[in-house]
Amino acid sequence: MNPVIHKTVRLLAELAVLLGLFLLGGQLAAWFGWPIPGGVMGLALLLVLFATGAVKPATLQRGAGLLMAEMLLFFIPALMSLLDYGSLLRSEGWRILLVIALSTLLVMVVTAVTVELVCRWRLRHEP
Amino acid sequence: MNLEPMSLFWLAFTLAAYLGSRWLYRRTGRYLLSPLILVPALLLAVAVPLHTAYAEYARNTHWLMGVLGPVTVAFAVPIWQQRALLARHWPALLVGMLAGSVASIGSSWALARGLALDPSVSLSLLPRSITTPFAMPVAQDLGGVPELTAVFVMFTGVLGAVFGGILLRWLPLRTPLARGALFGVGAHGAGVSRAREVGHEEGSVAGLVMVLTGLLNLFAAPLLVMLV
Repeated sequence: MNPVIHKTVRLLAELAVLLGLFLLGGQLAAWFGWPIPGGVMGLALLLVLFATGAVKPATLQRGAGLLMAEMLLFFIPALMSLLDYGSLLRSEGWRILLVIALSTLLVMVVTAVTVELVCRWRLRHEP
Repeated sequence: MNLEPMSLFWLAFTLAAYLGSRWLYRRTGRYLLSPLILVPALLLAVAVPLHTAYAEYARNTHWLMGVLGPVTVAFAVPIWQQRALLARHWPALLVGMLAGSVASIGSSWALARGLALDPSVSLSLLPRSITTPFAMPVAQDLGGVPELTAVFVMFTGVLGAVFGGILLRWLPLRTPLARGALFGVGAHGAGVSRAREVGHEEGSVAGLVMVLTGLLNLFAAPLLVMLV
């Protein structure tokens, strides 16, 4: 088979497996009545498949890599909801940005300092 | 698929703007040309003068958001690949993710209250530091507006990628673990890209922590619902 076609078919198959796990995850969550999104159930199923050795991560690497690399494309439509919030943005836009900026700074400092302190503590207390 | 010309136009324009911006950003490396900034700016620059409503834009493009489900499944790959890192450093990462999440949700809530923001805006702000596929369902659980949350997540990424670089110069962080976690918890996907530029280990830590923080927040959401 032509290598380009082979690669494309292979990629589509990997994407189909990921889609299948997502749909199966949604079905399982519905059967059990769990309030867990299908994607998260699918993630758990895939981890189980990796752990049992039924699927190797390398098998799905290209498909998974593509989806994660192009993730931005998949949430662009949600960003366009701004079209319906023009007046909200005019009245609260700057305050919202201020919340996001200050909170993001705080999260970064708190997370980094916490991880750093725990790491240093463990280094000192390890035999 | 809706065959009405305008809704086909929006789908084509969205895809073209995304691919064009990605190509430009790879060639120039200019942050303002990254798809995260340029694509929404281009789309809004056309949609606003035309008085396009979100429903009209979304008619043929909303299915793209459905792909976020399979993206979530794909997150199993980095978790599995980084399991050795996780096994060795889980206490530091777990404490960091918990502290970061509490700081994020707590400060967003307090600041939104303090600045008297609209209640639906405040609720939509709470999950803004986690990655979109998790942030949108968490916003739904909390009674916020998932689409607004996606907007706030984007701004968090844009600002966080810049702030992170500045903070690295100011904070005396000796471990790649702390530098990676800073980006992964604080600025999700945009942060992970930035962390990869800092170093290989930083990038791996950021990617792992981004996914795990999303999961942590998703499972903590029912608890949070009782609080808000």
